[in-house]
Amino acid sequence: MKKLRIIASIALVGLVAAGLAACSTSGTASGGKTTVNWWTWDDQQAAAYKLCLPGFEKANPNIDVKITQYNVNDYFTKLTAGFVAGTAPDAFQDSVPQLGIYASQKQILPLDDLIKKTNYNLGQFDVGVASWKYTDGKQYGIPLDWAGAAIYFNEDMIKKAGLTDQDINNLTWNPTDGGTFDKVVAHLTIDKNGVRGDQPGFDKNNVKTYGIASLAAQDFNGQTSWNPFVATLGWKLGGTKAAWPTEIPYNDPNLVSTLNYIKKLGDRGLMPKYGQFTVSSADQMGAGNVAMAQDGTWNATSLTKVPGLKVGIAPTVKSADGTRGMISNSNANNIFAGSKHVDQAWKWVTYMGSTACQTTAGKTATFLPSIASALQSTVDYQKTQGVDIQSFVDAAKNNELYPAPPMANGQELADTIQPEFEAFFTGEKGDSIFQTMQTQSQQILTKK
Amino acid sequence: MTFSNPAPAAVDTAAARRRRRADGRRTLNSNAPSHRGDARLAWILIAPAGIGFLVFAVYPTIRGVYFSFTDYHLLSAPQWIGFANFIEMFQDQTFWASVLVTVYFVVIAVSLTLIISILTAAVLHRVTKSTAVRGLIILPFLISGVVAATVWSWMLDAQLGIVNEAIRALGGQGIQFLTSRQWAIPSLAFIQVWKNMGYTSIIIFAGMQTIPASIYEAGRIDGANERQMFFRLTLPLLRPILALVLVLNVIGAFQVFDIVSVATKNGGPANASNVLQMYIYQKGFGQFDFGYASTMSLALFVILIIITFLQMRLLRANESDNA
Repeated sequence: MKKLRIIASIALVGLVAAGLAACSTSGTASGGKTTVNWWTWDDQQAAAYKLCLPGFEKANPNIDVKITQYNVNDYFTKLTAGFVAGTAPDAFQDSVPQLGIYASQKQILPLDDLIKKTNYNLGQFDVGVASWKYTDGKQYGIPLDWAGAAIYFNEDMIKKAGLTDQDINNLTWNPTDGGTFDKVVAHLTIDKNGVRGDQPGFDKNNVKTYGIASLAAQDFNGQTSWNPFVATLGWKLGGTKAAWPTEIPYNDPNLVSTLNYIKKLGDRGLMPKYGQFTVSSADQMGAGNVAMAQDGTWNATSLTKVPGLKVGIAPTVKSADGTRGMISNSNANNIFAGSKHVDQAWKWVTYMGSTACQTTAGKTATFLPSIASALQSTVDYQKTQGVDIQSFVDAAKNNELYPAPPMANGQELADTIQPEFEAFFTGEKGDSIFQTMQTQSQQILTKK
Repeated sequence: MTFSNPAPAAVDTAAARRRRRADGRRTLNSNAPSHRGDARLAWILIAPAGIGFLVFAVYPTIRGVYFSFTDYHLLSAPQWIGFANFIEMFQDQTFWASVLVTVYFVVIAVSLTLIISILTAAVLHRVTKSTAVRGLIILPFLISGVVAATVWSWMLDAQLGIVNEAIRALGGQGIQFLTSRQWAIPSLAFIQVWKNMGYTSIIIFAGMQTIPASIYEAGRIDGANERQMFFRLTLPLLRPILALVLVLNVIGAFQVFDIVSVATKNGGPANASNVLQMYIYQKGFGQFDFGYASTMSLALFVILIIITFLQMRLLRANESDNA
């Protein structure tokens, strides 16, 4: 019996040891080299930033950079698990809504000391620095890129409708009669019998081509849907506060009338109804289901490269007096507080935040560099590829962007607001929902 | 094992008595010398499973119960806040809405699964004995939930799905199966039924095979037709199996997550398919509010215990009419 017990305990010890060994295989150094892990959620950007590796590793022969990409749906879960287990990457791409929670939980490093020590110039960035300051006044992120919205349109359909690129570039809009935007959308809509949306006898229940892809999005900031519209009326996501807002003015009459205008576009048969199309706007344009689509700047290359389709890019709508506006989300690099190679990670982060790397990687136009000169070379390079994204640069130059305000409990706000927008756009709830949303935003944003 | 002299040493110590009382099912012979000392071996043999149970079930459950009384955001240490999470839960309208959505899903999914499975099993039992058919029927169960949900979400797609193509070809209007409030839960329940009915059928079918043929013979001699025999003989004799299947299906349906997560993404539209597990996941892994997520998990746990207990009692699941 004793023998059996000994065997059993040896076996148990062996099992535990094997288990522990399996846990502790996080690679660090190989042959005097340090490996810096960097994560992104965008496969195209992962490929783009790989173009920076040769330059970086030449200048820093002792540092290996390992770029890993996870799908955005799992990215932040994986990151959190990494924080807890201590296996998070040394540096990673991050989105503004996460700043509050990561900084308050002390999972990312304030970078001020490193900036001072290495004399790193934050002034080179034209967008995004302010979005990455936490309430303690410290800088937690080094900007990478910014993103906004644009209107993509099918050149052939525009021509057939007797319109020009200039018409689309100068769409005006107001919530009462919809301005020229409304007229163009109606004119571009064609029903099964070939009747246009602004002609008598238009059958709104049997539409072949809609004037514009759905603007009835459920995300809490409407970045590529309603936000560029309501921004022309001066509405901003954080209300009067540029950072750490205490409420989101969802009950503002300007927003309410904008959303009602957008919902009515669907009821009038000029825009697909909520949930009617399930594929991307590139696919909808490719299939001829829609003549125009407002989408993210990051989709410029995929939208303009749809086979057999000539797609133009126009800025978002403007008000009668020429005001344009849109929210811009600025992604940045953070450094994990538990990183064992802070200095090496900082080298990689600052290299990514240099004009050299931003120019190299930015050429792919999979993102818009936060450094203006790099952005310009992105635009120039894309022009040689037949894609004109000058309007993105103009938006940045003309101060049409307002940065997404960093906020507390961003994820909870997003999760709470989304079903309410869905309820509004599906017609389940009326205008009363907006007061509820405003109250909820207040509760969530001011919650400790 | 013919000799049976009384055990000399450990006759009636208090420990031995306690042991005997604790284990009522032990055979009379268990105190015989040849069996003494088996306990140690038994413990060693149980150990792997037992340790796994302690480490992966008991410990996490106790920890989960503890977390439900704390404010725990994963990255900082949990803070004891008493019943605050429970009070929040009772006032949380989204929680109660998702309980209702879950119950709606369970009712549709379980009742359909049971009806279809019993019919299928009856056909398997009385009509065909082909193993190929049996294999085919269990096939959907072998597919992972994520794959099943992905494929069905393509087929049920409002715009491009083959189901809607068929409906339109027949002259009907397209249906937003997964993107409208009235259809979301029934569509999800349908996917669940499709996936689980094969497995349930096979269990019921196996139960049917344990019913002696002589009973049916007697039935036939008494002049019962096929339908009468099904309702008067098969179903009553199957009761323990049906109870088991019902309990398993109810628990499984209450815990639905993968299908919802894949087919309607975030429990949409407008929380129409926001089942309890989805909401717990959102709170825990989306917003890192693990304290509150644990509280809701505990509530689900309690709900399941009560429902299972009631089912077992009402169906007298531990006794058969077949004895």
